[in-house]
Amino acid sequence: MKQYTICVFTENSIGLLNKITIIFTRRRLNIESLTVSETERKGVSRFTIVIKHEQREAVEKLVRQIRKVVEVLAVFGYLNEDVVYNEIALFKIPTPLDSRPLDMEIINREHKAYIVFWGLDYVVLQKTGTEEEIFDFFRYIKPYGILEFVRSGRVAVAKTPKGLVEYLPEELEEWEYYL
Amino acid sequence: MAATVDLLEKEGVVTAENNQKRLSGGQALMECLLAEGVDTIFGYPGGAIMPVYDALYDYMDRINHILVRHEQGASHAAEGYARSSGRVGVCMATSGPGATNLVTGIADAIIDCTPMVAITGQVASNLLGTDAFQETDVIGITAPVCKWNYQVTSPDEIPEIMAKAFFIARAGKPGPVLIDITKDAQVASMSKGFSYKKIDRLPGYHPRVVPKLDQVEKAAEMINAAKRPYILVGHGVLISEAMEEFRAFVEKADIPVASTLLGLSALSIEHPNYMGWLGMHGMYAPNVMTDQCDVLIAIGMRFDDRVTGNAELFAKQAKIVHIEVDPAEIDKIKKADAPVVGDAKEALKLLLPLIQEKSHADWKQSFRDLEPEERATVNARDFAKEGKIKMAEVVRMVSDKTNGEACVVVDVGQHQMVGARYYDFKRPHSYIASGGLGTMGFAIPAAFGAKMGAPDREVIAFIGDGCFQMTIQELGTIAQSGKAVKMIILNNSYLGMVRQWQQLFFDRRYSFVDLQNPDFITIAKGFGIPGHTCENRESLSESIDKLLASEGSYLLEVIVEKEDNVFPMIPAGTSVSEIRLK
Repeated sequence: MKQYTICVFTENSIGLLNKITIIFTRRRLNIESLTVSETERKGVSRFTIVIKHEQREAVEKLVRQIRKVVEVLAVFGYLNEDVVYNEIALFKIPTPLDSRPLDMEIINREHKAYIVFWGLDYVVLQKTGTEEEIFDFFRYIKPYGILEFVRSGRVAVAKTPKGLVEYLPEELEEWEYYL
Repeated sequence: MAATVDLLEKEGVVTAENNQKRLSGGQALMECLLAEGVDTIFGYPGGAIMPVYDALYDYMDRINHILVRHEQGASHAAEGYARSSGRVGVCMATSGPGATNLVTGIADAIIDCTPMVAITGQVASNLLGTDAFQETDVIGITAPVCKWNYQVTSPDEIPEIMAKAFFIARAGKPGPVLIDITKDAQVASMSKGFSYKKIDRLPGYHPRVVPKLDQVEKAAEMINAAKRPYILVGHGVLISEAMEEFRAFVEKADIPVASTLLGLSALSIEHPNYMGWLGMHGMYAPNVMTDQCDVLIAIGMRFDDRVTGNAELFAKQAKIVHIEVDPAEIDKIKKADAPVVGDAKEALKLLLPLIQEKSHADWKQSFRDLEPEERATVNARDFAKEGKIKMAEVVRMVSDKTNGEACVVVDVGQHQMVGARYYDFKRPHSYIASGGLGTMGFAIPAAFGAKMGAPDREVIAFIGDGCFQMTIQELGTIAQSGKAVKMIILNNSYLGMVRQWQQLFFDRRYSFVDLQNPDFITIAKGFGIPGHTCENRESLSESIDKLLASEGSYLLEVIVEKEDNVFPMIPAGTSVSEIRLK
C-alpha cells in the first residue's frame, strides 16, 4: 500500500466537504487524514487528503472523479517523494513536583519539539514533522505520561517551482490575493 | 454539446422588462426561466414552494406548468422532455417529501446524462437545521446524484445561480442540477433591479468541447491503419446532435456500427453499416464481433457493464479509440489507446477530413454471416406464432405500422429489451429508456414528458405490467393535459426479467415475481383514458390500429406469453463471446 497525497483546490462554498468526501466513501476508500484551509487566494480552499492505495491507476481515476465536482478548480495526486509535507502534534505532559524532569535538550535538539504552554503541573509540547517523526517523539515522550495527544492532518506542497496562480483557471485573476 | 455551442454564440444579457421593480424571489425565478427559454415545468406545489407557485400564477400564459400526481413523475417527465427535445427539462417540488420524491428521477438523469434543472422549496432560512416541518437536507441527499446543487437563501442570488444551473445542466456531459430555495428567499424582494446574464464558463468548470488536434490525429491514424475497425455508438452522439457527422464518418471509412442501448436511433436501422445493438441482451453479431475487431472506436459511450460483460475480456484484442466529452470516463473501464476528449460532434468534424476513404465489405459481411443463426433461433422463437402473443410480435407490428418513425419510450425489463430489438428506429431521439439506473416506473411520466418535448411526434410507450403500477397515477397527468400518449402494456402478470433470471440462474425459484394485476383498462377509463385489452393474435393488428388511430391518449393492454425469455443473453460478468442464443 502506497501513501498518496491528494491536493484539491476548490471554491470556498458550503457543502463542498461533503461533495468531496462522498467520492471517497462511494469507493470505500478510507481517508487517513484531511486538512482544509483557505489558500493565498481569497475564496480558494485547499484540501489535503492522504489515502493509502495499492494501485496508482485507481488513484488517478479517483483524481479525475474529484475533478468532476463543479466547484473543484484543480486536483493533484502525489506520492510522498513528490511533496514536502508535515503534520503538527500537541502533547499534554503531566509535570507534578515528584515527576522525572523533562530532558529539554533531547526534546529540543533531537526531536525538534517545543514547549508552547506551561500549565501549573503540566506542559504542552508541540512537535512538527512527518507522521513518522511525530510517532518517534510519541514513543520517546510516552514514559512521561501523556494526558492528551492530538495530531493534525497533513499539509503538503508539491516539489515543483509552480505557484498556485499557474494552474488555477484564468478567470480567477480578478480574485483578490492575500499575498 | 450543440446546446453549449449555441449558448456561446448567443451570449448576451437578458433583462426583465420591469427591472426597476423589486421582484420577489419567486418572480425572479420565473424571469430566469423565461430568460432560459423554458416553456414547460413539471411540478407539484406544497408549503415551502408556495411563493414560487404564487408567482407562477402570473406567468401561466408564458410558462406551461404541468401538475403531476407524484414528484417522481415530475422528474421522469422532465427527463422525457429533455430526451425528446434536446432542451433542459425542468421540474419543481416542495421541501421534504416533495424533494425526496424527485430523487429517483435525478439519479436516473445523472447516469443517463440528461440535462435537468430541479427546483425545490426549502423551509425558511431561520429554520434550517431545526427539523422544521417538511425539512430535509436535500442538498446532502442529492449531492451524490447531482451534477451540481446549491441552496439559495437570498433572492439576490437567484439570477446568477439559475444561470449557473442551466449552464451546468447542459454543458459538457449534461446532467441534473438541483436548486433548493428557502421560503424566505422566495418571498423577499431583491435588493436591486432584476437582470440576467447567461453563463458559458465557470472558474472550475469549462468542459473541453473541441478536442485537441493531436488526439484526433492519433485516433485517425489508428482508424486508417485498421483492417477490422468497429464502431460502438453511444448516447453522446445523440446528445451532441452529431448524427450527420457520424453518418458521414461511418460512410467515408465504411465501418460497421453497433449501438449501445441509449445510442439506439443515432444511426438509422436501414443504414447498410448498422449491425444492431450490443450488450447483455443485444444482438448476436455485434456482440460476437467485438472480439474480432482490431480497432474499436467508442463514441459517446462509457463501457457500461451491461455493454462489456467482463470488462477485462471485452475486446481485449483491439486497440481502443475513445471519443468522450468527460475525461473521467477515459480509461475508467477500458484503457484507451487513443483517447479523444471532446464533444462527439466537434470530434467527428475534426476527424472526418483525416479519415481515409475505405471499403470494408468483407469485414462487414462477416457480421451479416452471423445473422442467420440468430434469426433461426431467437427470431424464429420470438415469432413462432404459437401459444400466447409474444412481446416481439407486438413491438414489430407497431414498428411496421409506424414505419419506424415513432418516438418509443420503454420502461425497464423484458419489454425494454424487446423494444430495443424489434423496433426499427429510423429517426434520431427515438428510443427513450432508463439505461443506467434501470428505473421501473420511468415510462408513463417519461412518455408524457417526451410528448411535451416533441408534440409533433407519435409517442408510444411499451410498459410492463409491473412497471405500469409504479407510476400509474400519472395517467391522471396525461389525461388532464389532453396530450396523446399511446401506451401499450405488455402484460405477462410477472416481473418478467426477474423471473427470467430466477429461471436461468436461481433454479426456477420464482421468489415474489407473480403479480395479481388490477383491471388496467378500467383504471385508465377511470382517469378518462380509453383503452382495450387484446388477448389473441388474430385481433392484435386491429388493436394496434385502434391505438394508433386514437386522437388522444390510449391504453392498449396485450396479454403476452407468461414465461417468455429475452435472448440473446450474456450472463452477468461473462465475456461477450459467451452470449447465449437460448
